[in-house]
Amino acid sequence: MKYVQYVNSLLKDHIKDNSDVVLFGQNIDAGSCLSGLTRGLSSVNEGMTLNTPNSENSLVGVGFGLMLNNVSSVFFMKQMDFLLLGIDQIVNTYNIIRQSTPQASFTIFPVTVDSGYEGPQSSLNNFDDFCSIAGVEGYSFTNKIDTQKIISSQLIKPGFRILSTGQRFLQKETLELDCLAEGDDCHYFQYKKGDDVTIVCFNLSLSYGLELHKIMQERGVCASLFSVNTHIEVIYPHIMDDIKKTNKLIIIDDTKSRNRVSDRFLAEVYSQNSLQKNVNITRPVTEQSFYPCDDLLDIDFNKVVEDIVT
Amino acid sequence: MSLLAQFQFNCTIYILLPILLMENISTIKKIIWLRLAQVIVNQRYKNGDFKVPVHLAMGHETIAVAIDAIMATHDSLFLTHRNIHYNLVKMGTLREELDEYYLRNDGLANGHLGSMNLSNADKNINYTSSILGNNLPVGCGYALGNRVRNNHGVVFIVTGDGAIEEGAFYESLLFLKSNNLPCVIVVENNEWSLATRISERRANINLMKLAESLDVEYMLLSGNDPFDYQDKMNKNKQKALENSSPVIVEVQLTTLGYWYLKNDEHPDGKFINYHGGPAPEVEEQEYPLLASSNDDPLFVLNKYLSKDELFQISNELSFQLKEELS
Repeated sequence: MKYVQYVNSLLKDHIKDNSDVVLFGQNIDAGSCLSGLTRGLSSVNEGMTLNTPNSENSLVGVGFGLMLNNVSSVFFMKQMDFLLLGIDQIVNTYNIIRQSTPQASFTIFPVTVDSGYEGPQSSLNNFDDFCSIAGVEGYSFTNKIDTQKIISSQLIKPGFRILSTGQRFLQKETLELDCLAEGDDCHYFQYKKGDDVTIVCFNLSLSYGLELHKIMQERGVCASLFSVNTHIEVIYPHIMDDIKKTNKLIIIDDTKSRNRVSDRFLAEVYSQNSLQKNVNITRPVTEQSFYPCDDLLDIDFNKVVEDIVT
Repeated sequence: MSLLAQFQFNCTIYILLPILLMENISTIKKIIWLRLAQVIVNQRYKNGDFKVPVHLAMGHETIAVAIDAIMATHDSLFLTHRNIHYNLVKMGTLREELDEYYLRNDGLANGHLGSMNLSNADKNINYTSSILGNNLPVGCGYALGNRVRNNHGVVFIVTGDGAIEEGAFYESLLFLKSNNLPCVIVVENNEWSLATRISERRANINLMKLAESLDVEYMLLSGNDPFDYQDKMNKNKQKALENSSPVIVEVQLTTLGYWYLKNDEHPDGKFINYHGGPAPEVEEQEYPLLASSNDDPLFVLNKYLSKDELFQISNELSFQLKEELS
């Protein structure tokens, strides 16, 4: 099953079980329904489903207004860069809303456009920034297990959060992985266990971690592999225990943000450990970064393995 | 006036007032009380009592009292940084608001909101924003929530001539109209945004034509007549409900508290618009009239009561306020 179909089926299952949820956004029940992401949601939703005008700033405010009136909602958005127009509401309105304890849920569900070919605009892969600017809960997901766990636990629950996945995964087959452990509140998941190295992936970079793990395995290096799904929290006790055991840490983070949650995590690691080896793989920003180009990280996996084991 | 004439006059007041004006006298009292309360806030502000910025609304009393009078249980109000008139008239007391400005725990919002974001859900003031245009979308969402919850209330969103320059104003109007949501958008047009007049900062916005382009009803209110405002606001509310549509009400008003700065550069005095902070030339007085024209809601009250009657009411309300704060 394609990943977009899988996410769509999870959304349907979850929305079907939650009556009186308002679903809204541009084209969510028309045309391609956001490339299939929201197709058929209106048929299972007992609440209201609205195709809205192109008014992102106001639509974020609408979600908060619904929340004040004790009505839960999900705002679907084709591209995360559209959400820049709603920053005033995300910061200023949420700073008021958070003073109470809202019983209603408000979730914004944008797709992170991470292919890169869109050019200087429309290729915003900066989830960390949205979450950081007002301390907003945010979750990204990339595969069958984390998507299922996060949508079922976070899509509709009291409070406000942003959920997102990468556009580059949507038309691919759903990635199936065995989950060995998970952090509180879906903050992270562990997919591999090893004694030699700890690999921690952030944002949408789990696929790189899987590739690296595979190459390490071929070279007889046993690595633990984690993916951090939250974009605000940096305390992960289980990961910290693993790092204490291996003393070797590889961080992979494909965000374009300069406000990386992985940097804050690394600072936390160093406050508790003296690492024997540490390799950080993040995205260099050059002039080229703003031209239409492949947005994938260019990683020399063999060199990374050399650096960490020697 | 002879003693007999005085006696006859008092009889007229105390015999006829209950019959003719009891319904209306409370409206007049609220307008005077709102002014007196704000003058007290201003005096304390001048004394340096508050750390939070307060935007007084002297001159805005009539519309606040009219909206308060027509709001029903299921109606709700969304305000801006200049919200003192609505918060005070909804409370009917001053102490809680003053305590909020002092950021005390027993303030209206436990000292957590200060002035520019002061709301009071218990009195149907559901949200207040200090960001220009920010409260409009939130009000839209609340109105949509009313639809979902089958609550037939009307959402009143107060905004200003500055905020209608923001995209959120148009977006919100479009959203309300597209979804047939009953809402009254009240544009308090005081001609000023900070220190610039409309003509100094932008082209004219013909709100009537803008409303017409979206098939939205529009009404202009001016003159500060309390009963005219109340009657028309009630009709606008009914229109919003009956047509399941937004209505725009533009209220022409003057934010009083302005003064003239005289110095070597401006020997004849330079007009300084009141935007926020203490109004330096406003002082406590027996009847706190600030302008002898229809710009001042207290001046307009002369149509309905004599000077003596207004002074008497003002004195009584002043006494009550002092009692409350003592």
